[in-house]
Amino acid sequence: MDAITTQKKLNSEEIFAILKGFITEVIGEEFVEDMDISRESSFTRDLEMDSIEIVSFSEKVKAHFGEHIDFTGWLSGMDLDQLINLTLDHIIKYIESCQSSK
Amino acid sequence: MAKFMFVVPPFFGHISPTLSVGGSLLAKGHEVIWVGIQELSASHIPAGGKFIVPHEQLAPYQEAIQQILKMQDDGPKLSGVETLKLALEGTYIPFCRFMVPGVSHVADKFQPDVIVSDCITFAGAITAYLKDIPCVTTTPVPPDVTGDAMQAPKIFEWQQQLIRNLQHEFGIYTDEYVIHSREMNIVFTSREFAGSTDPLPHMRFVGPVKGRPNDTPFDWERLSKVTSPKVFVSLGTLLVDIRKEFFAKLVEAFADEPVTIVAATDPAIFPQWPDNFIVQGFVPQSALMPQMDAVICHGGFNTVNDAFMNGLPMLITPIAYDHFHTASLIENAGCGIKLRYKRLRVPDLKAAMREVLENPAYRQAAQRVRDTFISAGGNDKAVELLETFAQRATNIISIQQ
Repeated sequence: MDAITTQKKLNSEEIFAILKGFITEVIGEEFVEDMDISRESSFTRDLEMDSIEIVSFSEKVKAHFGEHIDFTGWLSGMDLDQLINLTLDHIIKYIESCQSSK
Repeated sequence: MAKFMFVVPPFFGHISPTLSVGGSLLAKGHEVIWVGIQELSASHIPAGGKFIVPHEQLAPYQEAIQQILKMQDDGPKLSGVETLKLALEGTYIPFCRFMVPGVSHVADKFQPDVIVSDCITFAGAITAYLKDIPCVTTTPVPPDVTGDAMQAPKIFEWQQQLIRNLQHEFGIYTDEYVIHSREMNIVFTSREFAGSTDPLPHMRFVGPVKGRPNDTPFDWERLSKVTSPKVFVSLGTLLVDIRKEFFAKLVEAFADEPVTIVAATDPAIFPQWPDNFIVQGFVPQSALMPQMDAVICHGGFNTVNDAFMNGLPMLITPIAYDHFHTASLIENAGCGIKLRYKRLRVPDLKAAMREVLENPAYRQAAQRVRDTFISAGGNDKAVELLETFAQRATNIISIQQ
């Protein structure tokens, strides 16, 4: 996979669409079909990503949005309830904040 | 002769190895009792042993206990982090609170030389600490030594804090964690399989211990006529809710294929099974295993150990709890293929089955694990360790007196 670091700042809708594509790649189209992914989807509960899938998702995020986005590092700083309640929207906001701090 | 008091949770996978070791101790003339939170069918208890549920001390917590037991059914629906929370904060710690008064009461009456406390049943070790009784921990599942990507400093700190707080509740203010024995922890697998390269000296890997005798009838004649490879399938005793879904996928994958599926599940979940499926609710698992060519299971330890003891390759579909860790160990050891239950595709299932049946590397790797299990010593080693421990403990006490 090529590292395409997007220079243009993306809005949250665009980020959501990209993340949704990554999720489909990581967990497989046939499973995503039944999932109805929204910004409120919980990362661990609704998407049911296991650690291997999270690592693969994280690599895609890095490759696309830039090496300075340390997604797994960000996750590992969370406590249990933050992880349980983590939604796609949180991830979008995190990526937005990384873009603006660049 | 010594007096051993096992303290166990209401989960059969954890009780089972203690019944086996307890039976061996009884056979050598020791006194053995078990203390639990829930009654266990008398047929499981080795001759001469006694299983005690301190009902009087548990009475105030009955409703809460039932509620917690019911929550365990949610396991397959929970994410890894939620499972962690349910296990430690929602199950082990409250069970410890509920059990300590009863365990303490039984200990006062029985006066054990050693308390043998299961690894998730902290009440045994806490009571032992409070009463200065020598304590051994038993661990049925390979300890998770590697951790995974979800492990984080804040989660580690959360675990430590919960345990410290629990100890404080019982007036234990030491910096040490006393919920597990620091003297001896008997683990029912081999060091090699657990992937533990440099274990602490008190970790003693004894391998699997003998199963219970099981003379359940089976249609051996039908099995003897089978010419295709035989695959044993079991989901263990829990996970009742998802059985139908799981077996529907197996039927879709293997109906009329050149394999014979021997499935341990209630046949009534479907009106009809394909001709190459032999289905029975309870089966003589240990007697069946030597006749099999491969095993499909979710990573529960009873079936995994039986499969290894027969050197059989496995296809593992982890569903919840510690299954994921066990499944990774099996895959890393080259003994099988892991297919995540939640993302189970029928073509993958078929391809993986073909691979474990046709590629001898899986069987050879499983046979190597079997060799490490056998040389770990099993029941004899566990008994020897416990006898030596009790002997040493009694000597220390008599010197002090």
